[in-house]
Amino acid sequence: MNTLVRQGEARGVFGNYQIPPQFLDEVFSNAGKVNPQYESIYRQFMQFSKEDFKELNEHAKKSFFNQGITFSVYNDKAKGLERIFPFDLFPRIISAAEWARLEEGIIQRCVALNLFIQDIYSTKHILKDKVVPAELIFSSKNYMKEMLDIKPVAGVYNHISGTDLIKHSDGEYYVLEDNIRCPSGISYVLTNRVAMKRSLFQMFKEFNVSTVQEYPQELLATMQSVAPDGVVAPTYVVLTPGIFNSAYFEHAYLAHNMGIPLVEGRDLFVDNNFVYMKTINGPQKVDVVYRRVDDEFLDPMAFNPKSVLGVPGIMGAYRKGNVSLLNAPGTGFADDKAVYTYMPDIIRYYLDQDPILNNVKTYRCEKEDEYKYVMENMEKLVIKPVDESGGYGILIGDRASKEEISEFKILISQNRRKYIAQPIMSLSMHATFIEGEDCFEPRCVDLRTFTLLGKDRSFVLKGGLSRVALKKGSLIVNSSQGGGSKDTWVMKD
Amino acid sequence: MSAEYTVKYYTHNTYDESVREAFFSFLIIPCQDETQTVRSLSFENSLQAEVFHHHNPFGFEVTSLRTAQNFTEFEFQMTATVEKSPVYLPTGSRLLSVEEEQSLLARHDFYIDHHLYLATSPYTQIKDELYGRLLFRKENQPVFDYLLQLNTFIYQMLRFDPEPTHVHTTVSEVIELGRGVCQDYTHLFIGVARLNKIPCRYISGYLNQGLSLSGTAVMHAWAEAYIPGHGWQGFDPTNNLLADINYIKAAHGADYSDCSPIRGMLRTNGAHRTSYGVEIIPNQMAESAQ
Repeated sequence: MNTLVRQGEARGVFGNYQIPPQFLDEVFSNAGKVNPQYESIYRQFMQFSKEDFKELNEHAKKSFFNQGITFSVYNDKAKGLERIFPFDLFPRIISAAEWARLEEGIIQRCVALNLFIQDIYSTKHILKDKVVPAELIFSSKNYMKEMLDIKPVAGVYNHISGTDLIKHSDGEYYVLEDNIRCPSGISYVLTNRVAMKRSLFQMFKEFNVSTVQEYPQELLATMQSVAPDGVVAPTYVVLTPGIFNSAYFEHAYLAHNMGIPLVEGRDLFVDNNFVYMKTINGPQKVDVVYRRVDDEFLDPMAFNPKSVLGVPGIMGAYRKGNVSLLNAPGTGFADDKAVYTYMPDIIRYYLDQDPILNNVKTYRCEKEDEYKYVMENMEKLVIKPVDESGGYGILIGDRASKEEISEFKILISQNRRKYIAQPIMSLSMHATFIEGEDCFEPRCVDLRTFTLLGKDRSFVLKGGLSRVALKKGSLIVNSSQGGGSKDTWVMKD
Repeated sequence: MSAEYTVKYYTHNTYDESVREAFFSFLIIPCQDETQTVRSLSFENSLQAEVFHHHNPFGFEVTSLRTAQNFTEFEFQMTATVEKSPVYLPTGSRLLSVEEEQSLLARHDFYIDHHLYLATSPYTQIKDELYGRLLFRKENQPVFDYLLQLNTFIYQMLRFDPEPTHVHTTVSEVIELGRGVCQDYTHLFIGVARLNKIPCRYISGYLNQGLSLSGTAVMHAWAEAYIPGHGWQGFDPTNNLLADINYIKAAHGADYSDCSPIRGMLRTNGAHRTSYGVEIIPNQMAESAQ
């Protein structure tokens, strides 16, 4: 560790900031110099004494508490733990030029994914041309025959995508995964910004930061663009599984900010292949549903018959074209981590362009030679199950005990289709305020970006969720694993 | 010489506690294909609810109804008149040679187009250790010839017995039990055909009750397998027959889960009892009166 104590700065909140070797720090260069885009914000933060900053931090936390922003962590106890989402006041800054390139790459990826889903549920050209192995798709539990030959409005399936990026030690961005089922986190992006402005409004004004608060309106406009043909004044709803869902706050927040009803499955019903909402004035037809209920629970007539969270008959209404669903059901096979490895090929196949964003090198355990490599080099790799989300079931080779490694070897050998491996990517580090230490320390950070695709429109939010792994040395930033987040500033030119 | 049938499907459900809201979907209408034409169709139900239709992913009509009135009893009936023409068997000069058949079945595009009927599913997956008890196609055997043998093989392998199995019984369990109903015979036929790389699908429908065969009091199940060069051919391992003019098809799918005749979602607290039945009555054809 090369300790860096800046002359005369040890009193401040950056007191004893140590830049870990082999990692890229977003704020400081390896020589300990502040990177240009952070210079002025760093100067501002240097003026705080530890006591001042602690007070400010408490203030920010209260802001979240008062906004009712919580997150549940599922654990083995029957009751989830509701927590305040840990927030860090020191923003992550991305320059306009860097962002422009990212945005291009993200749109390219989301458009390619959409074409891919469309193809799989109709002509299957990509499989016939053997660009992607057919078995890989057909064996995915998220490939849904119920979606065969359904044509969603404007051919859009993944209206809302969350693309997860990391910055590797080579200074390049890599896509870690695509989330195109029910990506969450946008409400934290918006509330982080509110908390930031409330806590540091004087400072915030001085910077030329792109806004994020237009997201709810953009989402509504996206919903509007894909309303069923011929509907004059569509009715929109947000469909939530209910208050026990870990992202319930977000469902409520989005509905509130779009000015549309938040409903549960029992508030809706289907009759004559149309969806209706039960209201005190009688049934009201619903045309567009932003659904945050997973595929499996969406319609007990088509999927899991035991589900009480869904709307019986909604798939029939959808197939008839009488209601639009965002996202379309059955997108899950495409953000499967095994399909991820084919993303560069998928982009080339549909768009005839080279991928703008990098993919992480991925080994597929179902392939004999790659399986062999994985088994022999487990301590150098991250092993992930292809179909889990939220950072569950992951093994990080260089941190696992011998027992854990041999356990995983057995798991993989029993179900090779289920596991992929990637080199251990070093996430970039970012100065993060650590309570207890009461000063800034470097922590791993990633970035979830949010993209909307509608009829003849696409939008990438200029900002995103920078998630930080609060545990020292941890690489897992998922909020379900106790990660926190910071505001993300995309600068204007 | 075609035949005409009146097909009735009825269900009668009683509930211990009042039902406050209900949604039912039925997959029971005789389908239209090369050998079947539906001449008339009507529905009645005790709640006087309007029925409505949509196509399922396989192109078959699903009949649904929704009600928000309280009830403790529900009766539903479909009546259809179906004209059925003779079914042509895959025989004669149109058949391919064994090599041609196998090369078609091995084609990548063919696999993709028929993947739903070639993949294993929870219902049709057979444990490796049971392969020894099954009948596989011999190297020089034509597909149709093999499937005829398989039909008989399964008919002899199992005993018809509704007691030990239920709607969730898997093929591996059926092999162990050696007994089952038409659904089990069919799943087993499908499972083995697919192991031989032959596309095979589950059929639910109606069997002419004029014949004293098993499986006529409720909806019947049989299989359709793809004969290269000919197309889909129905096999009924429960009765060791080929699907002919006495078989009226309602729907097909990868297995039973795509074809279950009734699904319901109810808001009620108590238990319920259901009874259902079917009637297939051959009509006097107009032309026989000429």
